[in-house]
Amino acid sequence: MSPVTFYLLSSVGIFVVCLYGLIVHAHLIRKILALNMMGSAVFLLLTGVARRGELTDPVPHAMVLTGIVVAVSATAFALAVARRLYEECGRAYLPEEDPEDLSEEREG
Amino acid sequence: MGLIGSNWLVVPIVLPLATATLAMLVGRRSAPYLGLLTASGILLSVAAIGLTVLEEGTIRYQLGGWEAPLGINLYADGLAVFMLLMTAIVGAAVSAYAVGYFTSRQDESGRVAGDSGDRSGSFWVLWMFLWASLNGLFLSADAFNLYVTLEIMGLSAAGLVTLERRQSALSSGMRYLFVTLLGSLAYLMGVALLYGALGALDLATLGELMYPGAATWSALALITLGMALKTGLFPLHFWMPAAYSNAISPASALLAGLVGKASFYLLLRLWFDVFDGGLGPGPGQVLGLLGAAAIVWGAVMAVRQRRLKRLLAYSSVSQIGYLFVLFSLATTASWGFDAWSGGVYHAFSHACAKAAMFMSAGAIVRSVGHDDLDRMQGVGQQMPLAVAGFALGGVTLMGLPPTGGFTAKWLLVSASLESGQWWIAVVLLAGGVLAALYVLRFLNPALIQVKVGPVARPATQNLEVTAFVLAFGSFFLALLSAPLLALLRIGTPFASVLLVGTP
Amino acid sequence: MLSLFFDAVLALALPLLAWRVLTTRDLYRAVILFIAFGLLVALSWARLDAPDIALAEAAIGAGLTGALFLNTVGGLVGRKRSPSRESDESREVAERREAIQSSPGEPVDEVMRPWWVRLALTVPILALGLALGWAVVSFPEPAIDLAQQASDNLEASGVDHGVTAVLLNFRSYDTLLEIGVLLLAVVAVWSLDLGRVRGGQAALSKGLPVLHGLVRLLTPIMIIVGGYLLWAGAKQPGGAFQAGAVLGALGVLLVLSGLVRPPLSDGSGLRIGLAVGFAVFLGIGTAVMLATGELLNYPPASTYGLIIIIELFLTVSIALTLAALFVTAPPRKEQGSKEHSEEKGEES
Repeated sequence: MSPVTFYLLSSVGIFVVCLYGLIVHAHLIRKILALNMMGSAVFLLLTGVARRGELTDPVPHAMVLTGIVVAVSATAFALAVARRLYEECGRAYLPEEDPEDLSEEREG
Repeated sequence: MGLIGSNWLVVPIVLPLATATLAMLVGRRSAPYLGLLTASGILLSVAAIGLTVLEEGTIRYQLGGWEAPLGINLYADGLAVFMLLMTAIVGAAVSAYAVGYFTSRQDESGRVAGDSGDRSGSFWVLWMFLWASLNGLFLSADAFNLYVTLEIMGLSAAGLVTLERRQSALSSGMRYLFVTLLGSLAYLMGVALLYGALGALDLATLGELMYPGAATWSALALITLGMALKTGLFPLHFWMPAAYSNAISPASALLAGLVGKASFYLLLRLWFDVFDGGLGPGPGQVLGLLGAAAIVWGAVMAVRQRRLKRLLAYSSVSQIGYLFVLFSLATTASWGFDAWSGGVYHAFSHACAKAAMFMSAGAIVRSVGHDDLDRMQGVGQQMPLAVAGFALGGVTLMGLPPTGGFTAKWLLVSASLESGQWWIAVVLLAGGVLAALYVLRFLNPALIQVKVGPVARPATQNLEVTAFVLAFGSFFLALLSAPLLALLRIGTPFASVLLVGTP
Repeated sequence: MLSLFFDAVLALALPLLAWRVLTTRDLYRAVILFIAFGLLVALSWARLDAPDIALAEAAIGAGLTGALFLNTVGGLVGRKRSPSRESDESREVAERREAIQSSPGEPVDEVMRPWWVRLALTVPILALGLALGWAVVSFPEPAIDLAQQASDNLEASGVDHGVTAVLLNFRSYDTLLEIGVLLLAVVAVWSLDLGRVRGGQAALSKGLPVLHGLVRLLTPIMIIVGGYLLWAGAKQPGGAFQAGAVLGALGVLLVLSGLVRPPLSDGSGLRIGLAVGFAVFLGIGTAVMLATGELLNYPPASTYGLIIIIELFLTVSIALTLAALFVTAPPRKEQGSKEHSEEKGEES
C-alpha cells in the first residue's frame, strides 16, 4: 500500500465518523463541527487523488482551495444562525421535530 | 454561432451577480428597482437563449476560452432552457410580489417598522445570489462548478428562511441549513470519487467514460442521496414542512417553487447524462417507489393540516413524488421520452402553481392576520383575487385540463400504462383526487358567504395581483405544450427513443 | 520506511481525532481538538505535496474557523455574565437559559438521539464506509490526465504556478463564484443582526499588555508575509487566498486585542472593501468579452497584468471578509445602538 492509499482511507474514515456524529448529536456546535470536518474529509480525498500520477495535479488543489473558502463561509453563517437561535430561544439544539407553529399572529 | 448569440448565455448568471453586489452597496431604497430591472433583463436574455436553441440547436460555451475537460463549459440544451424559463417566470413574479410585500409591511402593520427595511435590503441581495446560482446550475456542464452553484443556492435559500425571526422560523432555518449543507457535501464526495475514477469533471466527458464499478456506484449513491435530501423526497422530507411554512411568503414561494426543482434537475441531469440511466434498472425503481409513496403520504398529511401554509408545504411533499416517478419509467423503451418530459413538465407547472399559491397564502395571512384554516370564512368575499389565484393553482395540482399539470400527468400516465406499470397510473390519479381534497380544505371555508361590515385591513392588492397572474399563467400552461415539448426534444438523452418511437 | 510509518500514523490519527472532537464532553476542549485536527489535515496535505492548500487550511480551516468556533462557544457560555437582550425577552426564556447555563465551564451537550437510533444507524453508516473504502482502494488509472493538460497549457496561462493558473485562468469561473460565496456569507450573517462580538474581546483587551506588544510586533510581519504570499503566487505556492487569509487573521487579532475598533457598523467604506474584489473580478471578466468573445477569456498580451490586478483586489476583499465574518457587525447603525446600548460609546 502506498502512502496515498492511507490518506484516501483516512478520508473515508473521517467522512463516516462525522456523518454519524452529525446525525446523533443534537447540539448545534457539534453538528457544525461535524459538517466542517466532513468537508475536510472530502478535501483530503481530492488531495490524495491529485498525488496519484507522475505529476501532482493542480486541478484538485484549486478545487480544495475553493472548497475551504466555501466551508468557512458556510460555517460562519451556521454559527451565526446558531447564536441567533440561542438568543431567541435559549437553547443550542434543535427540537426532535419542528413543532407546528400555532401562534396567532402571523405576518405572512 | 455569432458572438452576441452565444454570449447571451452568461447574462442570466452575470446580471444577478452584478445586481447583488450593487444592491449591497446602494442599500434598501433602490434595491427593489434594481431587482425588477434585473428580472426583466433575465427574462429578455432567457428568451434570446431559447430562440437561439430552438433555431440552431444546443449551445456549448467555453468559459475563459478553455476547452473541457480542463476548462469549465456552459451548456444549453432544451432541458436547461426549459428550467431557465421556469425560473425566469416564477422569479419575475416573486420579484414583483416582494416589492409589494416589503413596502406594505412598513406602511400598514402599525407597529414600529423595526428591521423590515433591513430585511428588504437583505432579501434582495440574497434573492439575486439565489437567482444567479439557479441559472448557473441549469447552465453548468461541470461537476465541480455545479457544487459551487449548489452551495450558493443553499446558503442564500437558508438566509431567506432566517429572515423571519420567530423561533419556529429560526429552528427550521437552522435545520434547513444543515440539510442543504449535508446534501452538498454528499454530492461533493460523489464528485471526488468520480474524479478519482475517471479523471474529469466535465459532464459530457464523464458520461463517455462512465463504467459500472465500486467508485461510480458509490458516487451514484451519494449524489442521489444528497439530491433526494435537498429536494425533500419521502422519507427525507422531514425538514420541509417547517421550512416552507415558517419562512416569509416570498421565500416560501421561491423555496417550494424553484430551489427544490434545482436539486431535482441536477439529479435528472447526472442520472441520464452521466450515469447512463442510473447504471441499471434497479436504482430507478427505488426512486419511483419512493416517489409514489411521497404522492400518497404528502397528500394525506396535507388534508390533515390545520394551517394554510403548512397544508401547502405538505402538498409539496406530495407533488415532488410526481417528479421522481419518472425515474422508474424513463428508459430507452418507446415511452421513455413521454415519461421524462412528463416529469419535467410537472416541475414547470408545479413551480408556477405552488409559488402562486404561497404568494396568495401570504397575501391572505397578511390580511386576516393568521393562517388558521378553520377561521377562513368569508375570505373569498374580502380577497376574491387571492382566493381565485389559489384556486387556479389548486386546479393545476389536481391535474385537470387545461392546466400544465394535466399535460404532465397525461404524459406520465400514458407512459406508465405503456410500460405495463399500471399501479403507477393508479397512484398518479389518486394523488389528483387527494389534491382536490386538500385544496377544498381551504376553498370550502373561504367561499362561505358571511356578513361582514367593512373591516380595515392591510393593503395587499399588489400581492394578490401578482399571485393571480402567475396562477393564471400556470392554469393555461397546457396550451403551450407543443412549443415547450419541442424545446425539450433538443439535446434530450432520449433522442434514440424519439427516432424509433415517433410515427 | 520511516516516512511510510509517519504517513500511516497521521492517516490513522485523523479519524480518531475527529471522533474525539465529537465526543469530548467539554465544548471548549472539542474546539481546541478541532483546531489540532485542522493542523494535522494541513500537515497531511504538506505530505501530499500540496503546500498551497496546506497553507490555506492552516490559516483558514484551523485558525480562522477555530476562532469562529471559540467565539461562538464563548458567546453561548459567557452570556450569563453579559446579558444584552434581557430587556426584550420573556422571563421564561431567561429562566430556561439560566437552567442550561448552570455549569458555565461545561456547556450544555449530551443531547443525543436515543441508543436504539444510534445502534440502528451504525449499520448503514458502516456499510457506506466499507463501500467508500473499497471504492478508493480500487480507483482505476483514470483515462484523462488533467495534470498533463494543465502543465501543457501553463505557458499560455500567464503565470508559472499550476494552482494559480487553474484558479485564475483555466477554471477562474469557479473562483469568481467562490468569491461570491464569501460576499453572500457576509450578507447572510449580517441579515441575522447579531450585534457585535462581545465578551472575549473585552477580556482580551484589558490587562494584557503582553498581548498588545505581541500583536504590535506581529502586525508588520504579517503584512510583509501577506504581501510576499501575494507576490509569490505567480511562481510558487501562495496567492490571493493565502495572503488574504494571513491578513484576515491579522484583522481578527487586531480586533481581539482591542488595538483596532471593529469596523464601522454601517460604513459604506467597509461595504466597498468587501465587495471590491468580487466587483473587479466580475468587471474584468465581463470586459474581456469585448476583446476575446468569451467571459473571463483574457487577451493573451495582458493576461499576467489582469491576473495580478484581480489578485490584488481579491486579497483586500478576502482579508476584510474573513475578519468581518468574525466580527459580525450589525447592518444598521440605529439598530445597533438601540439594541446594544452598552456599545453606544464605541459606535460614534
